Amino acid sequence: MNPLKSRRHAQQAIIFVALLLFCLVLLTIQLWLFVGALEAHLRGNNGMAIPGAIVSVGVFALNVWMFLGIRRIEHQV
Amino acid sequence: MDDRLVEEFPVNWEDDDYVTRREFFRFMTLASGGLAVGSGAIAAWTTLSRSERSLDEVKVAAADQIPVGGSIAFEYPRKGDLCLLIHKEPGHFVAYSRRCTHLSCPVDYQPELKRLYCHCHNGAFSLEDGRVLQGPPPRPLPRILIQLRQDGIYAVGIAKGEV
Repeated sequence: MNPLKSRRHAQQAIIFVALLLFCLVLLTIQLWLFVGALEAHLRGNNGMAIPGAIVSVGVFALNVWMFLGIRRIEHQV
Repeated sequence: MDDRLVEEFPVNWEDDDYVTRREFFRFMTLASGGLAVGSGAIAAWTTLSRSERSLDEVKVAAADQIPVGGSIAFEYPRKGDLCLLIHKEPGHFVAYSRRCTHLSCPVDYQPELKRLYCHCHNGAFSLEDGRVLQGPPPRPLPRILIQLRQDGIYAVGIAKGEV
């Protein structure tokens, strides 16, 4: 393989793994928000539900954007 | 590879179905979408659910049956759902579920302290709105909606306690 191409491939692999780890962190935050909103609701406190849902949808949009970005990069290779 | 290991874990690597990183990322994105939908559902539930519910009307007692500072137990809305009707001030009644929101022990009215008290874990609730005054209960007591009529006091619904 062309050394330049090989180096570029290695860089893309690092970016991929970094994005994957970031996605894992975001998913953990979403899980925490979901459980927090559910527990607060069951306690009778409804103040957390709407902000939690807005943040969760935002995080989902970020995940979709990253996934589409990765697909775009793969198509370019 | 050690023969014994192969025997105990007979994995045929050629037939194994690998999950690629992209497939894993897609799965994570789908899980993220599921959590977003779940959080949205909780938000919709909290927004749309009514805090007060009208139920069957049940006569609890005659107004003159309970002295000021006194209380009477009744079951509402179903049999076994214990509630307490309290004559707080002359002509002013309040009713609450007797089931403590901690572990469902029955609460008692303490007229000298003007509160509802749970003996199990020292939980106490306000007589004004059922909010938690002390102890481990996580939320207020559900309030029973009552109506004073000519022929007595009627239970007509339930209001959830909001924190």
